[in-house]
Amino acid sequence: MKQIALYGKGGIGKSTTSANISAALSDTGLAVLQIGCDPKRDSTRMLMHGRLIPTVMDQVRERGDREIATEDIVFSGYGGVRCVEAGGPEPGVGCAGRGIIATFQILERLGALSGDVIVYDVLGDVVCGGFAMPMREGYAQEVYLVTSGELMSLYAANNICKAIKRLSGRSRGICRLGGVIGNGKGLDQEEELVSRFAERIGSSLIFFVPRSTVVQKAELHKKTVIEYAPSSAQASVYRKLAENILANKRMDIPEPLEVEELEELAYEFIKD
Amino acid sequence: MKNWPTNSSRTEGCTLTGALSVSTSIADGLTIIHGPDGCVHHNASLLHALWHENEEGLFPRIYSTSMTEADVVFGGEERLVETLHAANRLHPGVICVLSSCVAAVIGDDVSTVCDTAGVQAVVITTGGFLGGGFSRGVSEALLALSSLGRKGEGNGTVNLIGEKNLEYEAEANYEEVNRLLALLGAKVQLRFVRKIPAHAISSLGSASLNILRDPSLTDVGRALEARFKTPYLSAFPVGLGGTLAFLQDVGEILGIESTDAINCEERYQKNLAVSFSDLDGSAITLDRGPVTSHVLIDELQESFGLVFTDQGIPVRLPDPLPVGTAGLSRLLHRWRRACRA
Repeated sequence: MKQIALYGKGGIGKSTTSANISAALSDTGLAVLQIGCDPKRDSTRMLMHGRLIPTVMDQVRERGDREIATEDIVFSGYGGVRCVEAGGPEPGVGCAGRGIIATFQILERLGALSGDVIVYDVLGDVVCGGFAMPMREGYAQEVYLVTSGELMSLYAANNICKAIKRLSGRSRGICRLGGVIGNGKGLDQEEELVSRFAERIGSSLIFFVPRSTVVQKAELHKKTVIEYAPSSAQASVYRKLAENILANKRMDIPEPLEVEELEELAYEFIKD
Repeated sequence: MKNWPTNSSRTEGCTLTGALSVSTSIADGLTIIHGPDGCVHHNASLLHALWHENEEGLFPRIYSTSMTEADVVFGGEERLVETLHAANRLHPGVICVLSSCVAAVIGDDVSTVCDTAGVQAVVITTGGFLGGGFSRGVSEALLALSSLGRKGEGNGTVNLIGEKNLEYEAEANYEEVNRLLALLGAKVQLRFVRKIPAHAISSLGSASLNILRDPSLTDVGRALEARFKTPYLSAFPVGLGGTLAFLQDVGEILGIESTDAINCEERYQKNLAVSFSDLDGSAITLDRGPVTSHVLIDELQESFGLVFTDQGIPVRLPDPLPVGTAGLSRLLHRWRRACRA
């Protein structure tokens, strides 16, 4: 079983990328489980044709964690992709990180963490230990950073490298950086910048996803690109991305950049 | 090292326990801990055991909001509201609300919940790891409860601030301070907070002097001085000279001539030296405990002829140090038993 986690700045396109990777993998006949690890609970929405599925934490709140069955929290979406949303508290109260930990405990107990591939789609910033959960305890062995060429996006990706480095250094830490996924915002030389960033942190660019209006159209139709426009160039891009991830054997312990180094790198590409 | 992990001093333990040592000493009060049941269990057990040891068979009146895993994830404020209303139905003299560490971590807004729940309560800040230990809890509880005090003119009486409710000799120490004050013709108005009804706290601002239990409460002394304009002394008296100085200081602040009281106490101290004259020349070895006082050791050498050496009878100074002349007398009785054993 291959377990991958996608991390990156909020709004950078992790959920869109995750859902399209899951859809593409399911098209190849693999059994895929996608887990949204964000209280926003919208990771699997496109796989579920716009439906916001009940979250694990919703069920805990309503009936207590001992009464939950697998069918209460695992829902079948496009191509048979099994979808789970961790959910969490309302904004401003409670502890969302603890909710992620509780979700993993419940999924573990129910034996729901199964299949050929598990895709963890995680909240942008690893603000506490709870959001590092997918990297811990032997869940996701491979982390992929989703970033555009924008400085703040690279900054967030670089920050996540710190968490990967810390956790991979632990005796039981098996998590490694699988690579960087470029998600284009239409900037000049963006692919080169993201590729250079990947190289500088001791990793590699797995694939660069160019900006495309098909993505927005698919979302408006509440579908993944794979489902909405299967013969489009963008669908091919996502298939290639999924293929590269599946074939990827390179796993690194990243070396995060200092802020000044990151700024210099970004500045270099602006000047050019 | 600032946070040395082996520091198990009782003054640097749990903030919650420190605050509870104060709030549970309000006879008709009720304390709510916003946290998991374990926080109540451990603290109530500890308080009960210590009270029992001091021959007070009561069980501390503490309620838990019984936070669960789900409350940690979603926030536990509703639990607190429910518990506040349940507590209020018992009509306690005062409700104190303390926050456990986990409630503080997830950011439950205890103050706002109490303000809006329609139940009057005193909120005591006790999120332990945010800074401070047991002593901080004691101070926070005293500061929070002082909000129940009313301003008043100094009436010549004395308040005792922050008696150590968990110490074995709390009552004996109170009696000693009371005895010394009586030599001056002064009286204790309020023991803030020890075995008092909640309504008594309203008189907090009308004393002419606050005597703090020890210097760790200086922040409390200053705050009470700022609010009620009541001067303070920073500690109960320790040692022979310290006790005489205490009488002089209290006399000065209360405007009482203290010469007679000091003379009387000096005679008592001389009699004490006579009554322990059998200890003269006894060789003792002081086991360095958590506290020491060079002044006190010097007095024990000079006034009682004790010889401090590395090969004497092992004894130790108690923590906290003995209060007043009577405290020293009890200490010498114990050391005498050790010497004769």
